[in-house]
Amino acid sequence: MHRRGVGAGAIAKKKFAEAKYKERGTVLAEDQIAQMSKQLETFRSHLEEFASKHKQEIRKSSQFRVQFQEMCATIGVDPLASGKGFWSEMLGVGDFYYELGVQIIEVCLALKHRNGGLITLDELHQRVLKGRGKFAQDVSQDDLVRAIKKLKAMGNGFGMIPVGGSYLVQSVPAELNMDHTVVLQLAERKGYVTVSEVKEGLKWERERAGHVLDHLLKEGLAWLDMQADGEPQYWLPALFSDLTSQDVSPEEANQMSP
Amino acid sequence: MQSFEWPWQYNFPPFFTLQPNVDTRQKQLAAWCSLALSYCRHRKLYTLDVLEAQESALFNNKKISRKLSVEAIQVIFEELRKKGNLEWMDKNKTRCLIMWRRPEEWGKLIYQWVSKNGMVNSVFTLYELSSGEDTESEEFHGLEEWMLLRALQALQSEGKAEVISLDDGKGVKFF
Repeated sequence: MHRRGVGAGAIAKKKFAEAKYKERGTVLAEDQIAQMSKQLETFRSHLEEFASKHKQEIRKSSQFRVQFQEMCATIGVDPLASGKGFWSEMLGVGDFYYELGVQIIEVCLALKHRNGGLITLDELHQRVLKGRGKFAQDVSQDDLVRAIKKLKAMGNGFGMIPVGGSYLVQSVPAELNMDHTVVLQLAERKGYVTVSEVKEGLKWERERAGHVLDHLLKEGLAWLDMQADGEPQYWLPALFSDLTSQDVSPEEANQMSP
Repeated sequence: MQSFEWPWQYNFPPFFTLQPNVDTRQKQLAAWCSLALSYCRHRKLYTLDVLEAQESALFNNKKISRKLSVEAIQVIFEELRKKGNLEWMDKNKTRCLIMWRRPEEWGKLIYQWVSKNGMVNSVFTLYELSSGEDTESEEFHGLEEWMLLRALQALQSEGKAEVISLDDGKGVKFF
């Protein structure tokens, strides 16, 4: 129709046209959906192909994992966000970090009686690698950090304290506030610290310094040395470098809590 | 003699200060007890004099200039006594017997050697057991007499041996 009509006939025609448009609309939506389904199907099979091709690489190469994670981050995907998920299941990324998390917990538990639940990322890394053996998959510190973040999110009492360019990994829910953290960072340099050093280094009152150091003693994170030249020293087993070269002795093994 | 492997705590300065925190102190004492027994075992020491011990490498780490105080040593010795690894020889607690292996454990080792060599029902002098040529490669070789006697007495109470008197001393018959 080229002319708008008036009158009953015109109204009827209009109604007919509307109905037709509506139908067309439905048909259009269905079309779109069908097209989208097809696209998704193609997308899914590409992803599956990608997954099977790279599953091996994910497990074998820490470098690949870093790049993969960064790629996911750019497109707003967190492959570790949920245990069950395409990435987690298809690529086994979740498995990898889950297993690593379990290993990290084991190492931390084994050493807790020594260091009170605080360990340097370096030492953790060394021991995890050792535990995996010669032919095991490569694990980087980046992997450890991710696994620990995941553990932290799951509420396992894990935390990471930045010290001297790296981290101290905390595996027990000891109450460590900013004051404690900052003293740990100060102690990192020599593995020990005195009340005066804390007082001068952080410009605190003597009482505050003493209070924090006493707390570290109470939490089993620090030991007291009264035979030092000058004032008593507070030493942290976690920062004691000699530890990293020695294994747990059988006697220590007997002392470990189940 | 193989060189002794010191545990990590030995080079950790606070290890030589009795820890104020109760839990930490427990770990410390357990580690000291272990270390003391291992050290004595390695050096085949059966008795310790407290004052001498304070100057020995065990309780005095010259490399890090740290040593245990006499009180700390007494605390450790008391722990060892409670666990059955130490006995005071005098009322003033200046000298003690250190049993890094308990008499029963020694008895077992000796009996094993005796039966392995088909020598059950033989008689031995104490000297033969502790210093004879035949026992040179055994762990109980060099065992001091008082300890050897206790070991044999333990076997005796198990019915596996009898301590007897010989012309010039004591001996033992194994069953």
